[in-house]
Amino acid sequence: MDNIKKWRTPVLIVFLLLGILISVQFHAQQIFQSNLSLQSTDDLTLILKGLQDKRTNLEKESQDLEQQQQALNSDTTNSASLVNNLTEESNQLKIALGVIPVKGPGVTVTIPPGSSIVYLDLVDIVNELWASQAEAISINDQRVTTWTTIYWNKEKMTITVNGADVTFPCTIKAIGNPDTLMSGLQLLGGILDNLAVYKIYPTVQRSSELDLPGASPPVFHYLQTVP
Amino acid sequence: MWLPILGLLLGIGIGSTLAIPIPGIFAKYLSVALLAALDSVFGGLKSIIEDKFDGAVLLTGFFTNALLAALLAFLGDRLGVDLYMAAVFVFGVRIFQNLATIRREMLANWMQKRRLSAQGANKDG
Repeated sequence: MDNIKKWRTPVLIVFLLLGILISVQFHAQQIFQSNLSLQSTDDLTLILKGLQDKRTNLEKESQDLEQQQQALNSDTTNSASLVNNLTEESNQLKIALGVIPVKGPGVTVTIPPGSSIVYLDLVDIVNELWASQAEAISINDQRVTTWTTIYWNKEKMTITVNGADVTFPCTIKAIGNPDTLMSGLQLLGGILDNLAVYKIYPTVQRSSELDLPGASPPVFHYLQTVP
Repeated sequence: MWLPILGLLLGIGIGSTLAIPIPGIFAKYLSVALLAALDSVFGGLKSIIEDKFDGAVLLTGFFTNALLAALLAFLGDRLGVDLYMAAVFVFGVRIFQNLATIRREMLANWMQKRRLSAQGANKDG
C-alpha cells in the first residue's frame, strides 16, 4: 500500500476540481432551464402548448363567468320589474281601499245650512251614489270607505262621519261618470225627490276634476288570511 | 481511501458557495468538459487498480481532455458540425469502458483474496 502516497495528491486535486465542476455545471444547468431563450424548440413548443391550453381554459372560465354575470343581471332586472309590478298592485289596492288621495271627474252635492237632514239621508245619498257607479265618495273631506261610520251623535246633537262632526254646508263629492251620477241622483222618485218632501234642496254640480282625500289606513289585529 | 470522496464533497461545497455565474451558451461546453473530466477520473481510478498510476498523466489528461472537449464543442458549433455529439459519444463510451474495467479488476482482486484466504485456511486445517 505504498502507492497510496503516490496517487493521493493528484487524485485529491482531480476530485476537488471535479466537485467544483459538477456544482458549477449544476447551477448553470438550472439557470439554463429557467431561461426561455436558451431552451430547445421542442421544449418551447411544449411550453407554448401548455400555455395555450391554460389560456383556452381561462377563456372558457371567463365566458362562464360572463354568462353568470348576465344571468345575475337579468335576475336583477326581473326583480326590478317585479318590484314595479308589486308597487303598481299596491297602489291599485290602496286606491280600492281609499287610503290614498284620488282625483277625477264627478259631481258635488251640497246640502245648505239649516236643512233638517238626518244621518239616514246622508246614508241614502251615499248609497245612491254608489248605486250610480261612483268610484270614490267623500263627505266634508271624510273619505267614505268600507269601515266608514255615519251616525247621529246624541250628546253633541250632530251627525258624524268617521267620528268627525258634519258641518253645514255639507259637501258630498263623488268621482265617477258625472252623467250617470246626476241621473242617479235626479231619478224620478229618487233621493232628491225624497229630500224635497222634507224641504231639503241640495244643489248638485258636475265637476271635471274633484280632489278626494285619503282615509287613514285600517289597523288589523285579529284578521288572518285563509290559506 | 476516504480522501477523494472528501475532496469531491469539498469541491461541490466550494462550487455551490462560489456560485460562479456561467452564461447560458457556455453551459453546453461546460457539460462536455465535465464529461471529459469524469472520463479522466474513472481512467485514473482504473490505473490505480491496475497499478499503472501516474499522477502527471492523470492531471494533464484531466485538464487537456476537459479543455479540448469544450474547445472542440465550441469549434463544432462555429463550424456547424455537431462535434459536441462526438465528444459526448466518445467520452460516454470511454466512461463505461473504464467502469467495466474497474469492475472486472475489483472482482478479480476480490476473488483472488478469497482464494488466498481459503488456501490459508486449508493449510491451517
